[in-house]
Amino acid sequence: MNAIHDIYWLLAAASALVLVGIGSSLVARRFGAPLLLVFLVVGMLAGVDGPGGIHFDDVGTTYRIGSLALAVILFDGGLRTRRESFRGVSAPTLLLATVGVVVTAALTSLAARALLGLGPVQALLLGSVVASTDAAAVFFLLRAGGLQLRSRVGATLEIESSANDPVAVLLTTLLAEFLAAPTGVTAGDIALELALQFGVGALGGAFGGFAIAAAMRRLPLTGGLAALFLVAAALFVFGVTGWLHGSAFLAVYFAGVVVGNRNVPGFANLLSVLDAGTWLCQIVMFLVLGLLATPHTLGPALLPALGLAAFLMLVGRPLAVTLCLAPFRYGKREIGFVAWVGLRGAVGIFLASIPMLMRLPNAQLIFNVAFIVVLASLLVQGWTLGLAARLLDVALPHRDRAVRRVELDLPGSLEREMVGYAVAPGAAILTGAPLPGWAQLAMIVRGGAILMPDASGPLAGGDYAYLLAPPGRVYRLDWLFAPPEEAREAEREMFGEFSFDADVRLADVAEFYALPIRAKDAPLTLAEHFTRRYEHTIEIGDRVRLGPVSLIARELDDDGVRKVGLKLERLGNVLVRRPWLARLLPSRFVAR
Amino acid sequence: MPFLDLLPAERVRTDLAAADKGGLIEQLARLLAGDGDPAIARDALAARERLGSTGLGHGVAIPHGRSAKIDEACAAFVRLAAPVDFGADDGRPVDLVAALLVPAHFTDQHLKLLAELAELFSDVEVTRALRSAPDATALRAVLERGLRADG
Repeated sequence: MNAIHDIYWLLAAASALVLVGIGSSLVARRFGAPLLLVFLVVGMLAGVDGPGGIHFDDVGTTYRIGSLALAVILFDGGLRTRRESFRGVSAPTLLLATVGVVVTAALTSLAARALLGLGPVQALLLGSVVASTDAAAVFFLLRAGGLQLRSRVGATLEIESSANDPVAVLLTTLLAEFLAAPTGVTAGDIALELALQFGVGALGGAFGGFAIAAAMRRLPLTGGLAALFLVAAALFVFGVTGWLHGSAFLAVYFAGVVVGNRNVPGFANLLSVLDAGTWLCQIVMFLVLGLLATPHTLGPALLPALGLAAFLMLVGRPLAVTLCLAPFRYGKREIGFVAWVGLRGAVGIFLASIPMLMRLPNAQLIFNVAFIVVLASLLVQGWTLGLAARLLDVALPHRDRAVRRVELDLPGSLEREMVGYAVAPGAAILTGAPLPGWAQLAMIVRGGAILMPDASGPLAGGDYAYLLAPPGRVYRLDWLFAPPEEAREAEREMFGEFSFDADVRLADVAEFYALPIRAKDAPLTLAEHFTRRYEHTIEIGDRVRLGPVSLIARELDDDGVRKVGLKLERLGNVLVRRPWLARLLPSRFVAR
Repeated sequence: MPFLDLLPAERVRTDLAAADKGGLIEQLARLLAGDGDPAIARDALAARERLGSTGLGHGVAIPHGRSAKIDEACAAFVRLAAPVDFGADDGRPVDLVAALLVPAHFTDQHLKLLAELAELFSDVEVTRALRSAPDATALRAVLERGLRADG
């Protein structure tokens, strides 16, 4: 009888935790606290040292729950990664996810030896535990934070955060195994193991991904079952690859990328079902990790751990990122932002449970330090993400205003999506601004009636316009539909005051405004100047700074930039020489 | 140097008429030149327009130029009764035009003035007030208010 009652108790308590977590997240969002932190804190409050008083120290269960949750999170992250977003960033992110993790781990281990007095291998283990950025945290904070990053920076961070988890898992397990049985392991063994893990992981992921996509296309599964099939198949790939000594985390992420980029029927619907599942995984993972923590034992490790966190944020990661991105054409501000967004998260704590699971010496210390490092990272970096993006000028201005936009995935087409706007009276689209060639009006809802574009006549204020457009460019339609008060400001913010055809010579513009250019750039047109600077990764909004002005890629065609905006970088009484300081202050507080 | 100091009341006009962009530039050049040679201003403004239109969109343009042949900066502001196509990006003909001519050695100053103007005209309230001002005096008062509120 008791056993039967226990399950109710357990379920009620567990679901209450989740409900409290979700409830507090609504409050937390109001003052911008990193949401995942809330779940961690709720877990800690429910745990042994909080009012909840739940005594939970089952590392094995934590590890199993964590693995499962991380597998689903990574798979989901892979599914949402479009092939196009790899373009131009695949090499740098690959470097960040591999060399970057190793360098970060190595640097951190130096600090750990000095601060905590750990032995070299143990310090390296701790370094690996906290070396990877957390996919859940990065995805969540970047996407849900209402922050719209220039896509190269966003893609770098997102892909890095998924791809480096498997590497950190690999490094951690290898080091932990070495510490458990240090005899008889040679460098050759480690290299072989690494190669095996990577090779089998990548193969398993690719093969699994293609198989899943093929099966999904042939089997007539309906919504709910299809999502379940997808998750079960992903976990199967995860399990089998791991069993075959491949990196299971790499495999499941890779499988997600493959499936996400094959045409799978009902994909948008699948993603929305999966979204709930991924959320649940993140919540449960953070809750359980919070439960597992024992805050009263954190005290002695607190100061050295905070020192380590500071070292990681200010020295370790920035060095590793600079090293990895230096060979590629990233701007200083972009590198700065990528370096700052080294968000640690559940993966770090999860990895820290591995030494505990294997009962290694100093395991509790490593866990506690990792826990504090993750908390510090979520607090400091999570909270300052938006500010950093604005300071470093990597956010696309004013995109968050355009929440009037509704985006709908089109099952069967990854090239286009449907986007809906309420047409504001006086919007640019009504006053003669043309729709870009890549966007196509699909239908209009007027007075409750659905009209096809050929029957509707011209758009009018108060209509709802639905268009087909490539997902990556949709935001560029915003200003066309925004109310005039916002559009004018937004457009000037984004593209500057004046515009030039890109076949104008750089030297002519520079001479007219007395701008500094290098002699070897003088014969170039504006278009060629952009191409030289950005090669083939130019995106709308890319900038070239010329002394007191910026040139901004405003329109593109297949050959490169077609139209260039000129923005006068002015704030205060002088043309801005110190954008850092100037951007810190809202413009109305700056003397003009 | 504040923009308003370059803009005496007699160069704020509501009575100009122009058939096209060239005609408008010519009129502005005469206004800027006063008793001097309008060719200097015309050449400087036209040289800039050849690189790209100075239309800001939303019916506003700020044609501008630098010239080695003048010593003092000067400005003019014109509201047209009949808007003129100015080749602006949004395709909308312009009716509010601020023209600026500075000596060649004005470099930073030049950009600062332009930024000041562009910011002023991006304010919907200001352009609305400029379009509804009854006469040139009221027009200059709006500019004055707008530039002061701005700074």
